[in-house]
Amino acid sequence: MEHEIQLLWAGIVMYVLAGSLAIVAVVLNKRPEKTILGLLCLGLLLHGLSIGLRWVRLEQGPYLTMHEILSSGIFGLLFMFSIAYWRIKPIRPIAAVILPLLFIMMGWLVLTDTAPGHLPPTYDTTWLVIHIMFGKVFLGAVLIAVGMALVILLRRFGLWEEKFSGLPNDRRLDDLAYRFMAIGFIFETLMLIAGAIWAQDAWGRYWAWDPLETWSFITWVVLAFALHLRVTLKPAPVRGAVLILTVFGLAFLTFYGVPFLSKVPHQGAI
Amino acid sequence: MLARWWTSLASLKLTLVIFILFLLSVVLVYISELSPGWILALPFLLFALNLSAAITTNPKFRRQTGLLVFHLALLTLVLLLAASRLSYLKGSLEITEDEAFDGLLTDYEAGPLHPWHLDEVHFTQLTFTIDYDPGLNRGRTRSEVLWLDENGQPHESIIGDHHALIIAGYRFYTTHNKGFAPTFAWLPKGASTPQQGSIHLPAYPAHEFQQALDWTIPGSRQRIWTQLVLEQTVLDENRPSIFRAPERYHLVMRFDGQRRELHPGESLQFDEGRLTFVGLKTWMGYQVFYDWTIPWLLGACVVAILALGWHYRQKWAARPWLAGDEDEGTGR
Ligand code: HEM
Repeated sequence: MEHEIQLLWAGIVMYVLAGSLAIVAVVLNKRPEKTILGLLCLGLLLHGLSIGLRWVRLEQGPYLTMHEILSSGIFGLLFMFSIAYWRIKPIRPIAAVILPLLFIMMGWLVLTDTAPGHLPPTYDTTWLVIHIMFGKVFLGAVLIAVGMALVILLRRFGLWEEKFSGLPNDRRLDDLAYRFMAIGFIFETLMLIAGAIWAQDAWGRYWAWDPLETWSFITWVVLAFALHLRVTLKPAPVRGAVLILTVFGLAFLTFYGVPFLSKVPHQGAI
Repeated sequence: MLARWWTSLASLKLTLVIFILFLLSVVLVYISELSPGWILALPFLLFALNLSAAITTNPKFRRQTGLLVFHLALLTLVLLLAASRLSYLKGSLEITEDEAFDGLLTDYEAGPLHPWHLDEVHFTQLTFTIDYDPGLNRGRTRSEVLWLDENGQPHESIIGDHHALIIAGYRFYTTHNKGFAPTFAWLPKGASTPQQGSIHLPAYPAHEFQQALDWTIPGSRQRIWTQLVLEQTVLDENRPSIFRAPERYHLVMRFDGQRRELHPGESLQFDEGRLTFVGLKTWMGYQVFYDWTIPWLLGACVVAILALGWHYRQKWAARPWLAGDEDEGTGR
């Protein structure tokens, strides 16, 4: 138990170091990218170990209490971001806007109660794990798009314009961001399908408009709308960026707002 | 004239408008008590029309097979959902241990074209147990059922949690709704054989402190208020326990201004006959669901996702952000 917390803290410290270095690097126009990537990987390793130890100790995955949902959420987002950071070099400076966003979640995480939750029998299925994994990839993909959207908006308002001049231009950032939105759409669709299979299995209905189902469906429709709007009306990158933030806001509320309001992620469905 | 109409119906701007209408409908479903089927029917119909028109007239669909298949799968989904709403059944029922399902549901909702094959469902509830962790947290449900397949062959299965009983297309799921069922034998005056039956007390442990029921003996005018008094702890807050009928208990019966305690085997004599308390059983609440579209819906979803993945793979062959910015310059 103690080791889990220590590892979690050590992981968070690595993330914070990586994020701070990313901001300093943008301000000073430096590119210590290997160090940032190394810190992120080390943070993921320590954090992942902490989650793994808890999983083994409690024999239940990290998806029951707010502490677990936030912890595995931060891990998933940073995992996805680190892959993008490693593979798509031109967009690396967006770390300076994304990691601070995650600091807020980390602050929230350290305030949560670490007591274990109860695993309802209906949660004891691999479909739940698959459903959650798809959800994490979805949110991670949208988060990466958010990084690019924020850079587009910062440039639009003349903030840090020259700091981000090393990044591709707005049109290209927008194009890349929407590829991540499309990946997000695919994975959110998969998440909804896996969720429906689980719900049919566990509660005898594939869909029942419970708060989490409805909110994630609304997010899915808005995301499909955003993809359509982009190919139909070809909005300027700034408008595209606002749409990306809207989708992320909805998704974030679905993942961390709705379970926060109810005791179990799918309320009434245990 | 008609062709022009059809082409304007295919407008992608119209798709955006329908998306907004759809979104508003979903919000309405969420905040109102109205039937989702009726609220969503209009945007679904508009989507289907708009999409059919677009598929037949928009050249983009001809050039991009993945996109075409994805949207065809979406159209199929809409049609399947309509078929599902017309023929589904969702209901609940309660069965006493050792009794057979009699085809009756305590409540249900069904589509107008539901085939009503419940009379083909034959199963008997045997014993069931439910594990409870400390803190009254419900664990595994193991419900034993004896059922007949379409050839009349008997089978015994254990269902619960992720295992439904599927007969004649109907899926029976155990629920958290279950309780105790005092069982009686009623011998009407002048009759030679007693009739046996049970009453279902409110769900346990949800209504732990309201284990009472006011009921009338079937075929008579005798009303009785019956309360179950458990003489032992069934579910212990502090240690793992199992929900099942206890061994020590009695009933408190109130009728015609009198109060009597009744143990198993004891009787009450009324003007209209004699009521014997046979013993305590349990009852299980089931949810029943019928929807023949389920495997087809899943199939359409799988096709949709594969087609979309394929579409994007093709569309993303180019990686323009890796090129220099010489054509557009940096910045906005
Ligand atoms: C729930 C309903 C719908 C969803 C989820 C959906 C989703 C999508 C997606 C993901 C794309 C790919 C966009 C891209 O390449 O970035 C797309 C493209 C397209 N959709 Fe839909 N769609 C829906 C309904 C419709 C309808 C009703 C129409 C009929 C008008 C339609 C017509 C098109 C067309 C023509 C394209 C190609 C756009 C292009 O590449 O230029 N879609 N849709």
